[in-house]
Amino acid sequence: MNEELDSQLSAMFDDELPAAECELLARRLSRDEDLRGRWGRYAAIGATIRAEGGPRLDAELARRVSVAISQEPAVVAEPVRPRSRPFASRLWAPVGGVAVAASVAAAAILWVRFESSPVDSQVVAQAASGTPGVGQSADSLTVVNTPDRYVVPKVIPRRSIVPPTQLANYVVAHSEFSSPVNRRNLLSALMASESGTAGAPAGSEEPSEDVNDDAKSPQ
Amino acid sequence: MSADVSDLSLVRRVQSGDKGAFDALVRKYQHKLVKLVMRYVRNPAEAEDIAQEAFIKAYRALPQFRGDSAFYTWLYRIAINTAKNAVVSRDRSPIEYNIDRNNDATEESYDMQGRMKDSETPEGLVLTDEIRRTVNAAIEALPEDLKTAIVLRELDGLSYEEIAAAMDCPVGTVRSRIFRAREAIDRRLREVFEGGLGRTEDLG
Repeated sequence: MNEELDSQLSAMFDDELPAAECELLARRLSRDEDLRGRWGRYAAIGATIRAEGGPRLDAELARRVSVAISQEPAVVAEPVRPRSRPFASRLWAPVGGVAVAASVAAAAILWVRFESSPVDSQVVAQAASGTPGVGQSADSLTVVNTPDRYVVPKVIPRRSIVPPTQLANYVVAHSEFSSPVNRRNLLSALMASESGTAGAPAGSEEPSEDVNDDAKSPQ
Repeated sequence: MSADVSDLSLVRRVQSGDKGAFDALVRKYQHKLVKLVMRYVRNPAEAEDIAQEAFIKAYRALPQFRGDSAFYTWLYRIAINTAKNAVVSRDRSPIEYNIDRNNDATEESYDMQGRMKDSETPEGLVLTDEIRRTVNAAIEALPEDLKTAIVLRELDGLSYEEIAAAMDCPVGTVRSRIFRAREAIDRRLREVFEGGLGRTEDLG
């Protein structure tokens, strides 16, 4: 008998063997009658030391149980199965994936258009911060700075992640992957952005009509 | 070391259809279970019958065992219920045998042995006495460090780590000492189990 194996058997009997080794030894123990005999004698030794011999210390009871169990069908525990998804859920899963992809694409296009379109953000920022534009007097700003009908939200100046020229080059280079309509919309938006920037020097923008109206509104 | 790992590994094998693993569990716990049942019935042969029934019930119920409690705790409940049902169905009252766990174990064992000897067959007594004498003689012959280790483990139920602390030695040494003690005892006991009755005096 292998001494290391017997040492493991003794430790397993005391529940002092690591789980991985227990698994391997349990397999061997269940197949090796001699090993189970030794295991049973370890139990008898312990019972004797504790003086809990019972009517008998031999393996007669174990033999009787073994005979009775041999006539029983083998027990097999049902494995824990993962909960299956309903049929409708499985049916709609691919459609849902397509819908999500389409939504993401649409959001990306709208974001690009929004980023590249000319916005009067600078005018709004000026109204909010009270910075005088070109051609405005300090007196007129006293009226602009005291609106009572609404609060102009604070505008965070945005920067385009990609410069318009590079973005246009990218769109043209990858035109085969985008639909014609989207490509045209994107390019026209970029062109408008470019022309707006080039045609209107910084600081020359007039306040929009809306802002003027608000500024002139009765107190 | 987490408790009940070895039992659980055997239980999992039984649950996958391996009956040999259940035999290992029966061999490990048969003495404990018979002793437990004898709190309810006087006749040792009847206690063995009830313990056998409890083991078979446990085997049939094992597919439902999830390991939420220790295997022996689960088996203990089955045995208690089986014993109570047996007592009721045979219209008997359980004997007044309340074991106070704080009492001296030796006193308890003498009482148990006295009850057993009332109804045990002579042949069964001879074999059991032979086993007992063999084990006791082998323990007495052990070197002191081996004897201390096996007694602390089996009688006091200490873990290897606790024994290592008590004996001021590494856990690996404790494991080795307990194994060597068992091997020394088993070498003698094997002859009794294999039909070598009456050799105890020669070996002692």
